[in-house]
Amino acid sequence: MIIPAPAVNAYIIDNNKIYVYGFKKLLSIKDLSNQVTHFNNGSEAIAHLRDPDNAQNLPDIIFLDLSMPVMDGWEFMKEFEEIKSQLGKKISVYILSSSIDSHDIDRAKNIPSISDYIFKPVDVQRLEEIFKDLRGIARQ
Amino acid sequence: MSFSEDKFSDDSRLHLAQIIDNINAGIWEYNINTRAIKWSAGFYSILGYDTNEIECSNHIFFEHLLYHQDKAVFLYALNDQNTNPAKPIQIRLLTKSSGYHWFESTIKRQYDTSGQIIYGSIININQYKQAELQASRNDQHYGDTIRIAKLGSWEIDAATLNLTLSKQIYDIFELQAEIKLSIEETVSFFEPPYRPVIQNAINNALEFCQPYDLELLFRTAKNHVIWVRAKGVPIINEYGRCVTIRGILQDIDSNKRKGLSLESSLNLLTDQNRRLQNFAYIVSHNLRSHTGNLQFMVNLYEETELAEDRTEIFAHIKSISSSLNATIEHLNEIVKIQTEITNERSIISFEAIFNNIQSAIKSNIEALNARIEYDFSQCPQISYIPAYMESILQNLLTNALKYSHLDRQPLIRCYTMKERNHIYLIFEDNGIGIDLDRYGDKVFGMYKTFHQNPDAKGIGLFITRNQIEALGGTIKIESTVNIGTKFTIKLV
Repeated sequence: MIIPAPAVNAYIIDNNKIYVYGFKKLLSIKDLSNQVTHFNNGSEAIAHLRDPDNAQNLPDIIFLDLSMPVMDGWEFMKEFEEIKSQLGKKISVYILSSSIDSHDIDRAKNIPSISDYIFKPVDVQRLEEIFKDLRGIARQ
Repeated sequence: MSFSEDKFSDDSRLHLAQIIDNINAGIWEYNINTRAIKWSAGFYSILGYDTNEIECSNHIFFEHLLYHQDKAVFLYALNDQNTNPAKPIQIRLLTKSSGYHWFESTIKRQYDTSGQIIYGSIININQYKQAELQASRNDQHYGDTIRIAKLGSWEIDAATLNLTLSKQIYDIFELQAEIKLSIEETVSFFEPPYRPVIQNAINNALEFCQPYDLELLFRTAKNHVIWVRAKGVPIINEYGRCVTIRGILQDIDSNKRKGLSLESSLNLLTDQNRRLQNFAYIVSHNLRSHTGNLQFMVNLYEETELAEDRTEIFAHIKSISSSLNATIEHLNEIVKIQTEITNERSIISFEAIFNNIQSAIKSNIEALNARIEYDFSQCPQISYIPAYMESILQNLLTNALKYSHLDRQPLIRCYTMKERNHIYLIFEDNGIGIDLDRYGDKVFGMYKTFHQNPDAKGIGLFITRNQIEALGGTIKIESTVNIGTKFTIKLV
């Protein structure tokens, strides 16, 4: 019996428009998610998460870039840690960055609510695993 | 022949002769007229011989016992008519088994019926003489060492505050005469900023028995400014109070200056290295980001079959291509800073360059209706690399326009200032400002952008800072959000 996969609601927080286009396109081609909301920086995403109007429509997963103007990935994580307990939903956060600096990688490892660190552009297999795991959790 | 064998006529003379034979000194007697010579028993024994073991004769004395170089001294004393007794002389005599020893010899003439008689004594002073020679060698050695080390010693008496200085101190001070100096006068030889330092150190040593070891700038009497090491150690009495400070003053100028220049080149290198590393990291990150996107788009192009998707993807590929180009150009600009640094500096006029830039971006200024004021009267010219100055002024001006406040007419002020030996360039605007508590030093970082301005590339201020610092200057920023920004640039 084929169980229809529940739709995965994803956020991408990244100011690189071309990358965001490609990322969305890839998720759609690979049939991973058609529900991708884009934010140009951490500040926009936090505002969206905080807005009570969006409480029923929170993401399952957030893909977060590190280097962005206004509010970068680290600043976003600081605010996210503060509000996540009030969100009432487990949200996985993946860093999606072209930085291969070991400082960045170690720093991300030390933040408990970050699930993993993925190097840009993207590893399609890894992405498929992530979504598979997410659906597994959603089914339980 | 010995005195005791001599046929002295009376008991007292016999008694005296016995005493003479037994003391640890040699006595001799010489009759000028008869050329007769007598040696006491002590004379033999002091030279290590048994009595009469060697022949008592002038020939033996002068040719065998007396060191040939000391003959002149001895003969001079023997014939010296002016002083009687003659001054004691020091001569070397050959001993039986331990080579030449030093002896002190006194000579006294006497006239009696038989004619002119000369008496003399010899005392072995070899040990003292050796010690004295050693001491003088040590003195010489010590003096040489101190001179080589450029080291002088001094002492302060805590009760009287009397200062005693060694000869070498005067050499360091380059004072001809060893004049008496007070503590105050000595302190005044140090350069003004170091005077309180040394004075405090001396006071603390006197009051709290604290030793000190300082490196200070010092101006000699001949007006040479040198680095010296001043070290002082308190000597305490049984109550633990300082009674004396003893110390040294050492000329460490050449070492200190080498050390300082080494330190500054090390700082410079560390700084350059850090910047280079940062630069390499940023460049690789930026290039990676573009090439990653390019790879991403090419893959997507292959994956998708829809014509409209392919058109869009291709448009993105074109845009990545131009971004890559821009990044390479930025790289070029940064490399140019390093290559242009060897270019000749020339005298440039701030006003001429500023006006050129203004006319180049005239349309931009007019579009914003910006008011631009300048005043270079305090320092109209500077010796600088012209390309750098053009770039610095252009970057700051376009930056000020780019981040102008939409609610008011942009006002930009640019002026120069001269302070001491430095030339400053000040750049002020009433733009949107930047939160420095949050971004701080990152303002001058590469590819750091802080506002959602589509024109922001994060390269301008990075290049500006590099150009300024390449010529030994500094740039500082002060800013208040919604009020404006002020750049203070120390050019030279």
